[in-house]
Amino acid sequence: MMNQIFVVGTSHHTAPLDCRERVSFSEDQYAEAFRLLKDNRQIEEAVILSTCNRVEIYAAANSKDGCTLLFDFLSDYHEVDRRQLAQFTYNYQNLDAVRHLFNVVTSLDSMVVGEPQILGQVKAAYDHSLSAGASGDVLKRLFTKAIRVGKRVRTETEIGAGAVSISFVAVQLAKKIFQSLEDKTVVIIGAGEMSELTAQHLVENGVSKVIVANRTYEHAVEIAEKFSGTPLTYDVNLNFLVDADIVITSTNASHHLIHRKALVEIMRKRKHRYMFLIDIAVPRDIDPQVGAVENAFLYNIDDLEAVVTSNLKERGQEAEIAAQIVEAEAVKFHLELQAYDVSPIIKALYQKFQGIASRELEICLDKAALSPQQQKIVESMIQSITKKLLHQPTTHLRQVAMDSDSLEIADNLNEDHVPYVRALQVLFGLERTRETDV
Amino acid sequence: MDFLFLLTLLIYLAASIFHALFLTTGDRKIDRFAYWITIGGFALHSFYLVLRWLRQGEFPMAYWYDSASFFAWAIILIYLCIAHLTRLRTVGSFVVPAAFIANLIAYTLPKGNAAVSPALQNYWLITHSSFIFLAYAAFVAAFGFGLMYLIEEKRIREKKHTLLYNLLPALGRSDRIGHKCILAGVILMTIGIIIGVFWTRNVQEVTWKWVDPKVIFTIATWLIYVLQLSIRQIFGWYGRKTAYSAIVGFAAVLFTYAGVNLFLPSMHAF
Repeated sequence: MMNQIFVVGTSHHTAPLDCRERVSFSEDQYAEAFRLLKDNRQIEEAVILSTCNRVEIYAAANSKDGCTLLFDFLSDYHEVDRRQLAQFTYNYQNLDAVRHLFNVVTSLDSMVVGEPQILGQVKAAYDHSLSAGASGDVLKRLFTKAIRVGKRVRTETEIGAGAVSISFVAVQLAKKIFQSLEDKTVVIIGAGEMSELTAQHLVENGVSKVIVANRTYEHAVEIAEKFSGTPLTYDVNLNFLVDADIVITSTNASHHLIHRKALVEIMRKRKHRYMFLIDIAVPRDIDPQVGAVENAFLYNIDDLEAVVTSNLKERGQEAEIAAQIVEAEAVKFHLELQAYDVSPIIKALYQKFQGIASRELEICLDKAALSPQQQKIVESMIQSITKKLLHQPTTHLRQVAMDSDSLEIADNLNEDHVPYVRALQVLFGLERTRETDV
Repeated sequence: MDFLFLLTLLIYLAASIFHALFLTTGDRKIDRFAYWITIGGFALHSFYLVLRWLRQGEFPMAYWYDSASFFAWAIILIYLCIAHLTRLRTVGSFVVPAAFIANLIAYTLPKGNAAVSPALQNYWLITHSSFIFLAYAAFVAAFGFGLMYLIEEKRIREKKHTLLYNLLPALGRSDRIGHKCILAGVILMTIGIIIGVFWTRNVQEVTWKWVDPKVIFTIATWLIYVLQLSIRQIFGWYGRKTAYSAIVGFAAVLFTYAGVNLFLPSMHAF
């Protein structure tokens, strides 16, 4: 019964943050966890995926109750009460486990569908397992395939296209106007989490200069420090806007700070170079008429949110295509794994040999009157002969099956072991039917 | 020969359709296909022009037919250069149809085998007309970028983030490349005009006339672009104004190329 795949985990779907925290693994715990899984739970192969949104243990084991083993391990390792933990975890086996991993890696299971980080996180989790020697043949296949499916979904669908947060929409818009954000200057007027986050993303995308204007100079200094920017005291004639390519406003002012007339003058001074104004404030800081000024582009919070909504809707449509890809790949992978599995035939072979041996043993024992001790010796001899006879062919068969598709050609299964399986079936008259769910 | 030209025409038609199809579907495979058949059409067109040149023994530039066909060829050449240099093929959706139309017009026009009068038949003819048509083609490309700019600006202002919004280049980029096209066009045109002046000076039988309407309108077109470039430099006419002037300039190019001869007599055959 090889090649059973299990996953036990908890994610943002099933558990609040404080529960996920309690069972999460830090990088330096991986090695220990892999060792414990191997020594105490007979789990040969494992990958631990621990991110802020999920903690999952994937395993391949030679047992039917891998999920219980994993669950017990999780509970023991983190010293969490089993009954409590059970409420927050899910577990899957075989095809369901494969499907689950593919859903995770393609971000279909993420909080924000289409988010790009998860693919890297899965890769990192797999690398940890590889370097700890905890990934064997089955998980190597599974994760190589999963990463490939993740990439395929990214290239074949638009699942990651279109920003789905206000600040990223602002960055994308800025790029649609300026093309490159390098050498651009962003001015933040006022303060606030959203404006700082947007500025942060702009800086990450190449904006080189940040100016922070605030009525209170100390506040300006405080915010400017975060971006190594220049603090300014807010000045009503807005002269600091002449150098501003991107303006973010988020003040508590009850009236408009930037009027059309003033901006026309500023645009003239800056020779009509483009200006992108983002008004995050409610009530608005910028007169909506500013949006009509040539080469000035104005977006307010509602405009940005509308873009987010429409992008989310588009992602939803793309997610449906991605889900189809995942389903097809998961089924295909599962079938491949079965084809590659030689365990059923080996099991059948042993059963056949042992069946003959025990029948012959019975006949022999009937004929000869042996003492219990002698009986035992004969029994163990027969067992030993059966095992030794079968040892070489079965080892060889397993070897061929493992070599026959190294990871590089996992997509194009080379089934060198199949003729051997057939030969064994024919020569020893073994059952042709194979277990459907190994 | 005729078959070859018809084939070129059909390929340009297919290229135009696929370019347009890309703008409506956003499918990158269609984009790549459209680009490659444009290259194929261009190769065939070049082959046809060379063949015609060899057959005739003279540079084929005596008829409207030849000029329109050469114009189309120049448009595709400039487009391929831009696509190669900037990796931006979207402009093809705007200029490849222009080349198709030029070729279609050529196809309907009569074509003879007579050459330009021998007195004019020399390398001056080749260089003068080549530079002028390459300049025109650069202006066609600038027109394409102008259109893309205006469409994209409208999308951004109206906050319509549709497929087209995603496919068109950033405003700054359309503006910059369009500007470079105008710059290149003006340089090519200047060289073409200077060659034209020297050429006629060297030919005894043609008396140089400043008042030739073709010359006047050519200079006027040239001035529109030079003025636009200067104002942009001095006052910062970025964006929409560059786009509009590319469109106005293009209208002037069309009139100078085709309109003048319809209404006014000129020493230029075209």
